[in-house]
Amino acid sequence: MRSPFGWFLLKRLAQAVVVVFFVTLIVFGLLHALPGGVARGILGAQASNAEIASFNRAQGFDKPLPVQYWMYLSRLLHANLGTSYKLNQSVGSLIASRLPRTLVLTGVSTAVAFVVAVPLGVWQAIRRRRLADYVITTGAFVGYATPVYFLALLLVIVFNADLHLLPSQVPGTYNLGQLLAHPSVLVLPVVTLAVPTIAVFSRYTRSAVLDNLSEDYTRTARAKGAPERRVVGIHVLRNSLTPVIAMLGYYVPVMFSGAIVVEEIFNFPGMGLLFWNAAQTSDYPVLLGVILLIALATVTGSLLADIAQAVADPRVRSGLK
Amino acid sequence: MTSAPGAPRRVLGIEALSVTFRSPRAEQVAVRDVTIEVYPGEIVAIVGESGSGKSVTALSTLGLLPPHAAQQGRVEVDGLDVRSLGPERLRALRGARVAMVFQEPMTALNPAFSIGWQVAEALRVHDRRLSKREAMRRAGELLVLAGIRDAGRRLGQFPHELSGGLRQRVMIAIAIACDPKLLIADEATTALDVTVQAEILDLLRSIRDRMGTAVLVITHNMGVVADIADRVIVMKDGRVVEQASVDDLFERPQEPYTKRLLAAVPRLQPHPRGTRLLEEVAVPTRPGAAGSATPTAPRAPVPGAPDLRRSGDVLSVEHLTVEFGARATGRLRAVDDVSFSISPGEVLGLVGESGSGKSTVGKCIVGLVKPTSGRVRLWGEDLSAASGRSLKRLRRRCSVVFQDPGSSLDPRMTVAECVAEPLVVNRSGSRRSRDARVVSLLESVRLDADLRYRYPHELSGGQRQRVSIARALALGPELLVADEPTSALDVSVQATVLDLLLDLQAKFGFGCLFITHDLAVVSLLADRVAVMHSGRLVELGTRDEVLFNPKDPYTQRLVAAAPVPDPVEQRERRQKRLALAGGPGPGAEAGSTGQAGGGE
Repeated sequence: MRSPFGWFLLKRLAQAVVVVFFVTLIVFGLLHALPGGVARGILGAQASNAEIASFNRAQGFDKPLPVQYWMYLSRLLHANLGTSYKLNQSVGSLIASRLPRTLVLTGVSTAVAFVVAVPLGVWQAIRRRRLADYVITTGAFVGYATPVYFLALLLVIVFNADLHLLPSQVPGTYNLGQLLAHPSVLVLPVVTLAVPTIAVFSRYTRSAVLDNLSEDYTRTARAKGAPERRVVGIHVLRNSLTPVIAMLGYYVPVMFSGAIVVEEIFNFPGMGLLFWNAAQTSDYPVLLGVILLIALATVTGSLLADIAQAVADPRVRSGLK
Repeated sequence: MTSAPGAPRRVLGIEALSVTFRSPRAEQVAVRDVTIEVYPGEIVAIVGESGSGKSVTALSTLGLLPPHAAQQGRVEVDGLDVRSLGPERLRALRGARVAMVFQEPMTALNPAFSIGWQVAEALRVHDRRLSKREAMRRAGELLVLAGIRDAGRRLGQFPHELSGGLRQRVMIAIAIACDPKLLIADEATTALDVTVQAEILDLLRSIRDRMGTAVLVITHNMGVVADIADRVIVMKDGRVVEQASVDDLFERPQEPYTKRLLAAVPRLQPHPRGTRLLEEVAVPTRPGAAGSATPTAPRAPVPGAPDLRRSGDVLSVEHLTVEFGARATGRLRAVDDVSFSISPGEVLGLVGESGSGKSTVGKCIVGLVKPTSGRVRLWGEDLSAASGRSLKRLRRRCSVVFQDPGSSLDPRMTVAECVAEPLVVNRSGSRRSRDARVVSLLESVRLDADLRYRYPHELSGGQRQRVSIARALALGPELLVADEPTSALDVSVQATVLDLLLDLQAKFGFGCLFITHDLAVVSLLADRVAVMHSGRLVELGTRDEVLFNPKDPYTQRLVAAAPVPDPVEQRERRQKRLALAGGPGPGAEAGSTGQAGGGE
């Protein structure tokens, strides 16, 4: 690693590993903070003491905490997230089958949101304080304030019940290929998840573009004789996108938590639905596995945000030296 | 109306231009009935203080005024009526026939694109057929033309990697890309050091000479006017007050405003003791210094004032070194082994360019920056060793005035609260006696006592700086550290503040460290002068030694580069300076990131 950028990557990766380590500590702590212990939570209030003791022995919960943590950690390092109490499957395989579907859902809706929000924000900025700006701003606030489940129900009523245009439920057996072969089932979940994101990112883009429009370099570009389209589309946009792209990375966990509600409503067979069902049945290994994964996604997201920022902004890049 | 010899077709003709900024609540007339003509090959300066309408006038020539500006009158550039042009023809005019160089080269360049790209863009927006490669090649040539030597290497660099002077050269390369008929430089050298300013002015002159470009220089600096202009237009409150050739204007100013403006400009000359800018009468009020030509000896204390000489030097700085930055990235030595002292009642001028470390020295003295090594002694006591009550006692006796009163006064405190704060912090006096003290302090800085209920944003820049000075004087300091206290002010305001400082210093007899980049200001008020360059103290001596017979080569260059507000003298100085630099021509730029970070 001779380049400063390589060093920066290495340093950030090392930091990410440390953060993930702390996350495992917290997740482990959560498991043991359950009132009455894990066994009581799973076996229920009626379980006898003998039953609980034997459960604890079987799961290794009778050993000292540091030993348990060490066991937990070494299992993690072998990609073993434990076994679901209720589904009789390893958490790893449960997540592996559902993660790609959730990634499609969140990925597509983020892409849709980005593609819609950025031009919207730019347009608002150049039409600042005109009718279009006010209308979109109002729409953005409504979109942001509407609870996701309410929006989902609204969309289902309009596009499924009334217009019969789109399916409201995703067949639970669909694998990734089938999902992509029937894109119509994706439309409503994707739109539901994208609307609040569009609201946030259009506001963000709008203010970034407004800031950059009043910068001196914008005046220089105009004084050069650059057409307005070029001033906004190249000079201003390039500088405005840097913070927006960075924000996108930090938005990863928000998208994941949004997916939990959306997947439940549309019966979308992803991580969110898995998490939802596990929460209802006190399936702790699944819950903790998903939390760990979301934490990992958060760390990865902010890492990607930093990298994107370094790629987009030469000042950040040379600050790395 | 002045017209150039031979009277060829004018490049710029502004006729009866008025510009009004309209907002729902107020209307503000920025330019009133202005008529200006500029002819090919001419350098015309528009000079005025802030709010005079000079920049608005300049922006109107490119049709760059904001949408809420209502215009009347005619603006003609190279035969085209700017106000009647549609967006596309206006765009074709900008950069091609008239180009502009702005004040702050850091923010005026796009941070996200390489400078080669930005120069090449200026070519390509006016010639769509030009290939990227060809545009980049010509961008390299333009950088050379703008006096950047290693242009090939610079093309791929980004604005933040260049020094202020280099950035301004890039701006000029962009401006001359399409060989415009008129080049407008709007305060183009204001943010630069004097030595860099001199080079940029040389560059503008050489562009005029080589390409026959008319140049319109917008500035507030009379020294710049004297250096570069053929003809001068003085503006005030949106109106043209006076137009004249540069020699006539400086020798025979006609209008009272022009006369006042010229009188307010501090000159780099051996002022007799007690000189005031605006009164121009020698009042030997300074204790012990009456007409003395060699005021280096500490003056006798003011009768009745506490005997300051008892403890020897007010301030002594011994082998002061300050380093910034992390170990890994290489530490920046902002201050390098600096030693000097100030005796009671003495004014020491500390001069240097940006990044020289002069402000860092000031901050060490008031305890805002911890020295890496070396000592600051106040009245013989080591500042870094002092703590608790003794530190508080030392701080009471020394106060500070910063550059920008807009940001160094708390916007949520009234003037009275600002001025009284040092008294409150030090539990000095009762509420009523503090109010009386505030009134007398405001009187001593010649502010009306009724102003004490106002907030800083309701005051003008000059009034705010007086409030800062009143606050600094609240505890009757024996040492005042003033860091560029007048640099953010207009010349006429600067003159009143400088006169005030001189009067106060004479009255109270405090020692003063006056930090500035302006040699003329130093020549007005300092007893001794210290010159800093790249963290080191290169010269220290009496004012007359350092400013008028400098020994150190850097001081010599610095003194030679400072423009004086007298065209005849400035021409001689320019010849001398160019001889010192080893011949005319631009391109004396060496460092790249030297001033970009800055340790000040």
